[in-house]
Amino acid sequence: MPDAPAIVEEDRVTCFRELFEQSASLALRFVEHGIQKQDRIALVLPKTTEAIVSVFGSLLAGAIYVPIHPRWPKERIETTLVDSAARLVIEGDSYPPRITDRQGGASIPWQPVSAALTSTAIASEDSLPRVDASDPTLILFTSGSTGRPKGVVLSHRAVSAFVKWSAREFQICSTDRIACPSPLGFDLSTFDIFNMALCGATCVLVPGHIVWMPRFLVQFVREARITCWYSVPSILAGMLQEGRMAQHDYPGLRVILFAGEVFPGPNVARLQAAVPHALCANLYGPTETNVVTWYRVPRDFDGTQPLPIGRPCPYATVTVDASSGELLAGGDSLMSGYWNRSEDTQRIFATWEGKRYYRTGDRVSLAPDGNYFFVGRLDRQVKRRGFRIELGEIETALAHQEGILEAAAVAAEDGQKRTAIIAFVRARSVGAVTLVEAKAHCARTLPPYMLPDHIVFLDTIPKGSRGKIDYLALGRIAEELDHGDQDHGDQEGSPTVHR
Amino acid sequence: MEIKKEVRQFIAKNVLLGVHQTTIEDATPLITGGLIDSIGMIGLVDFLEARFEVEFMPREVDVHSLDTLEGIEEVIRKKLAGREAGAASGGQQIR
Repeated sequence: MPDAPAIVEEDRVTCFRELFEQSASLALRFVEHGIQKQDRIALVLPKTTEAIVSVFGSLLAGAIYVPIHPRWPKERIETTLVDSAARLVIEGDSYPPRITDRQGGASIPWQPVSAALTSTAIASEDSLPRVDASDPTLILFTSGSTGRPKGVVLSHRAVSAFVKWSAREFQICSTDRIACPSPLGFDLSTFDIFNMALCGATCVLVPGHIVWMPRFLVQFVREARITCWYSVPSILAGMLQEGRMAQHDYPGLRVILFAGEVFPGPNVARLQAAVPHALCANLYGPTETNVVTWYRVPRDFDGTQPLPIGRPCPYATVTVDASSGELLAGGDSLMSGYWNRSEDTQRIFATWEGKRYYRTGDRVSLAPDGNYFFVGRLDRQVKRRGFRIELGEIETALAHQEGILEAAAVAAEDGQKRTAIIAFVRARSVGAVTLVEAKAHCARTLPPYMLPDHIVFLDTIPKGSRGKIDYLALGRIAEELDHGDQDHGDQEGSPTVHR
Repeated sequence: MEIKKEVRQFIAKNVLLGVHQTTIEDATPLITGGLIDSIGMIGLVDFLEARFEVEFMPREVDVHSLDTLEGIEEVIRKKLAGREAGAASGGQQIR
């Protein structure tokens, strides 16, 4: 068992003994440096072996890890570091990562203390702090409607509720090879790394450069002999379509889980036909609650009906607000709250029969057989490739650009039924800002998944009688764009729809 | 072969809805500049493979080497040169 593979990263294998020694050694370095329980340690790292060692190192030291994607724009990374008041930051693309103390600028060497010293220190119980179930494990920063990311604080109880249930339900064991292409900053990533630790399964890391290249992903699943896969539906849809997943066999692939957005019925049926022996399941839940309902896709699912989000997981309690149809979710996996935002936290929680629930903002319907169906959103949050996006955040980013007076964003379906984001802007004057400049500005301030697909310049942003932006009218313009009516451009790169 | 011109046309038509192609300079950052996203990259690589009869390996689909028209041209030229060298020596074609 100690020599069994814990992490596989391309040609590199780290066994459980090495993972434990490295993590414990890192934890000891943190404690020695003065890291206190619940200090925040920011991991600005791609999902690598070192990132996972950093996760366990932080947790053994009693700290809270804050995963931040290194491809986020610098400005957003810095805002998140400040917002989370991170004490340490671990970063760098190459080995070894740099560890810096943000309070004094001192650095901590990555190089481990000796294995013997680690074992001795771990054996004496007082060298590392004790952690309670209610202590925070991690903070996940997610899109915020006012333009500032919100930090979702998840406790050890919350994370383990989902992980323990998934381990039991999907019978994860030491022969499993789990792959989850989601970055560490997404709740999906608690599945692979903690099931590895809980069940002795192998966490096979998906190389970052292939995550969005479907045919390489299909090749990866075959060659790395993945037995258990967990991703957003968009990635699976790409693997089925561009990756021609159905042309190959996957004898070992026994569990395929997906979450994060609606998976269209026909695609689910295609997935089952491509991997007929695998158990496919739709997992549902926002970051604030992790997974709270799930649906095992029946073998005879023909794809003509929408896929339910299913029934509650045993650790979750869900109910529906009768007046709005909104799903309220609570139970052990519920977040502790938003980091440093007590007002937002208070507003988002509802109390019902003495229990605390998170207002998901998702409208649902309940079928007679007890399965819930997702109907739509109550607000302007959209899902694109499984990423959660507050359109207000895109509007704020654009409106802050020099030369732009006003911005509004809507989501529309593109020709391939994918969610596209269309931003509309009113410039100070014709040519005050070009499309390339506006896009580059977005790329400097928003993470890649939040970048608008199209930016359309309007003379005026349509408004309703009360002066509020008329999103329905904008939606209709977006639809026109999508029907191949591409000739909105003038000669010099400021495509303008004159209205 | 005017690689940059063809790629510029492809991007203007398929990726950048409604932008006049003159706005994409040879050194305009396409990916890091927010013009092409991950889904756009899939389409771009498919186009390059089909149009220039080359094949990309996983490591070659790289944000930095494919970020500008100049970079793309360089990658394609290298691939084409490799293929011709392979053909001239009677060896297996590098695709």
